[in-house]
Amino acid sequence: MPSYGLTIPGADSRLYVTTISTARPAPDPKPTSLPLFSSRATRFGSIKAKAATMNDAAAAAAEERKELSFYELLGIPESGSITEIKQAYKQLARKYHPDVSPPGRVEEYTEKFIRVQEAYETLSDSRRRAMYDQDMARGLHLAFSARRYQYDEGMEAKGDWKNRWQSQLSELKRRSSYKDDRQNMSWGARMRRQKEGLSDEV
Amino acid sequence: MAVSGTFIRPNQYFSSCVNTPSPRLNPSCRKQFCLKASAGNSDGEDRKLTRKEKDGGCKIEYTTEKPATPLLDTINYPAHMKNLSTQDLEQLAAELRMDIVHSVSQTGGHLSSSLGVVELSVALHHVFSTPDDKIIWDVGHQAYPHKILTGRRSKMHTMRKTSGLAGFPKRDESVHDAFGVGHSSTSISAGLGMAVARDLLGKDNSIISVIGDGAMTAGQAYEAMNNAGYLDANLIVILNDNKQVSLPTATLDGPAMPVGALSSALTKLQASTQFRKLREAAKSITKQIGGQTHEVAAKVDEYARGMISASGSTLFEELGLYYIGPVDGHNVADLVNIFQRVKAMPAPGPVLIHIMTEKGKGYPPAEAAADRMHGVVKFDPPTGQQFKTKSPTLSYTQYFAESLIKEAETDEKIVAIHAAMGGGTGLNYFQKRFPDRCFDVGIAEQHAVTFAAGLAAEGLKPFCAIYSTFLQRGYDQVVHDVDLQKLPVRFAMDRAGLVGADGPTHCGAFDITYMACLPNMVVMAPSDEAELMHMVATAAVIDDRPSCFRFPRGNGIGAVLPAHNKGTPIEIGKGRVLMEGSRVAILGYGSIVQQCVGAANMLKTRDIFVTVADARFCKPLDTELIKQLAKEHEILITVEEGSIGGFGSHVSHYLSLSGILDGPLKLRAMVLPDRYIDHGAPQDQLEEAGLSSRQISATVLSLLGRPKEALQFISGREWTH
Repeated sequence: MPSYGLTIPGADSRLYVTTISTARPAPDPKPTSLPLFSSRATRFGSIKAKAATMNDAAAAAAEERKELSFYELLGIPESGSITEIKQAYKQLARKYHPDVSPPGRVEEYTEKFIRVQEAYETLSDSRRRAMYDQDMARGLHLAFSARRYQYDEGMEAKGDWKNRWQSQLSELKRRSSYKDDRQNMSWGARMRRQKEGLSDEV
Repeated sequence: MAVSGTFIRPNQYFSSCVNTPSPRLNPSCRKQFCLKASAGNSDGEDRKLTRKEKDGGCKIEYTTEKPATPLLDTINYPAHMKNLSTQDLEQLAAELRMDIVHSVSQTGGHLSSSLGVVELSVALHHVFSTPDDKIIWDVGHQAYPHKILTGRRSKMHTMRKTSGLAGFPKRDESVHDAFGVGHSSTSISAGLGMAVARDLLGKDNSIISVIGDGAMTAGQAYEAMNNAGYLDANLIVILNDNKQVSLPTATLDGPAMPVGALSSALTKLQASTQFRKLREAAKSITKQIGGQTHEVAAKVDEYARGMISASGSTLFEELGLYYIGPVDGHNVADLVNIFQRVKAMPAPGPVLIHIMTEKGKGYPPAEAAADRMHGVVKFDPPTGQQFKTKSPTLSYTQYFAESLIKEAETDEKIVAIHAAMGGGTGLNYFQKRFPDRCFDVGIAEQHAVTFAAGLAAEGLKPFCAIYSTFLQRGYDQVVHDVDLQKLPVRFAMDRAGLVGADGPTHCGAFDITYMACLPNMVVMAPSDEAELMHMVATAAVIDDRPSCFRFPRGNGIGAVLPAHNKGTPIEIGKGRVLMEGSRVAILGYGSIVQQCVGAANMLKTRDIFVTVADARFCKPLDTELIKQLAKEHEILITVEEGSIGGFGSHVSHYLSLSGILDGPLKLRAMVLPDRYIDHGAPQDQLEEAGLSSRQISATVLSLLGRPKEALQFISGREWTH
């Protein structure tokens, strides 16, 4: 079964096995794949979660209303490095995972978890991050999931251009290696052969 | 002393003031540096600050002061560019932009076309080595970066001024200018000629022709490509596509859609849907095959690539040029990569590299303007606001457009044709008023003329508004398709005579000569804007033969305009006398009559009263007027702002045929000298040509036997005795 999972290279892959489909906002945790995760999480997360709940209940409520930028959500500066992003994501994902959320606040936490997930996906991909930053700079704070920072059409087109002309160049090189064969009677080919002939003699 | 590129290490300089944020992986950001070009030591005095924009581009802030350009300062000649890294080249491009905006803001000239090819110029000069390699810029108005990089930076403040740099490449000016240009679509032809010469002489330099998508609409470009494909000589053609075919690149209401079917063909070339689909297919194949497939995946990709390149049968391929593109014309790294690879091939034959650029790129006011700030006068760099001088009168072009519109309002058969010069000919106004009766044919004067002939053959009344100099390109069509068949096409020749800053490439010196020698053509010229309006009306009623009229660049003199801008047709072949005098008669043709009037006023101060007449028609001549002037005066001087063989010739021909020249009359013709007048201020050019009021007065005085006074006029000094 193809895994659309988010495997973070270099991370401990036992920790994170998520099968939440990127297309659907609703969470779809498969309990069968999570036993490892939840057992570890309950060891750490529960204590932290309890403490955190008091302090940021109020804050969390406010957060939900406000439009937070991805950076604010992850609690990192805008110039944060990929490592910082990863760390922040790990922490928050552990904190807000539905399995470890306090009973009365499952929905809230799940929503949070999804947002954190989206934030990570966008910011960890350099191109999508660049686009997001651009939008932010322009003052567009779009609702989460309102805009999927998919690979921009224009940039994709330019990427295609590059592939295209690279293959055109390879083809030209190939053709040019046999261009001046005897059979080619064009003026240019004759002149080039003459020149080659002369330089061979010398 | 040549400053070698390695003398100053730009990287070191910049690493000390580079303001990189904490390192983050951002491969899409090409420019990792931040141009903090502070000329002073203190950080508080940053004059040219460029912020690193989130999307990876560097945003330049333009101010009115001279920008600090540390890297550009080290480049005096292309040789100094050879050792620069890609990063350096990008920085150089940014500095070049600043320099061009600053320079053009002080001198006026062509702005946005130069901005669009900054990266291209940098890449070309990095990879190729002029003057051995030849770069031919079509039209040449985009060659400002080229001029800066080839040793003329210090003279940029003299651009288009008298004795300064020419606005277009000129062989006399520098060895790096391989070919003189100004009219469009000549670069591929010239390039091919140079390539063939290279092959015959056994050399192996590279020839590069840079042509725009506008110039590509002209037939000559195809003639050249056709020949290039046939001859198969090594030649690089760069098609600079910025979707701006006509000039200025806007109608009155906004940007103009590119004219012609060719533009849509070029757009299709960019569509990558086919390639993308194929790639997607290839990717999914790779996925399905699974893990162990490095070789197979590579093969699949290669296969996909091969399929794409083989199927690239475009317009250019059919002509025999190998097509590469589209390429991002603002990506220096890509351009350098492509040029190096093509240069390294031994036998590529003719290659066409299609690059996409944006006119005015990097300077927001230009990007935002409807006409992209193509041709500008002095402006304010931060805002792009131009300092246009207020004149009490409008330009001749505008008067022409107004009166043509007036004529067309009452006569629905009147249509107008121009060749990609809606703004220059004033037909933008006509287009706005009568959108279905105005035709922009692209840069195709030959076609425009014959197209007009076709319209006339079917009973319409076409007005072909083409600059005097550009009508030269369609001359056979004027002779064979219009005059020979006596079709009533009206030619409105703007920019007749000397044109100032554009120089000899745009000078309309020859139209009197080449039009008046045609048997059926009516040839007339107004002496002021009111006369112009009357002549438009006159041309509108001449329905049995072709006619033409010429008018200069510049503004009207303030003549009293006819009511509602509607002219009245004047009697054909009838001139008029403006000032009465004795002994000397000055017969002027066209707007130069104003200089004659000026001369007459100067001579009044010397108690000399000359007759000034406005001939109005060169064909048919007002023979009655000439006979009368010849009878009543000792001296007859004809004056025109045209070459030899024009008005003066026709007058002298008549006088000799009628026997008047056998008599005592002294006849002198004042024409443009038998050489090309360089670009400069209009008054300077007129003086250089010997046709200013002063010089006409001096001629009169020397003919009257008062040479000393003549000298005074020439030298401009008043001697009292």
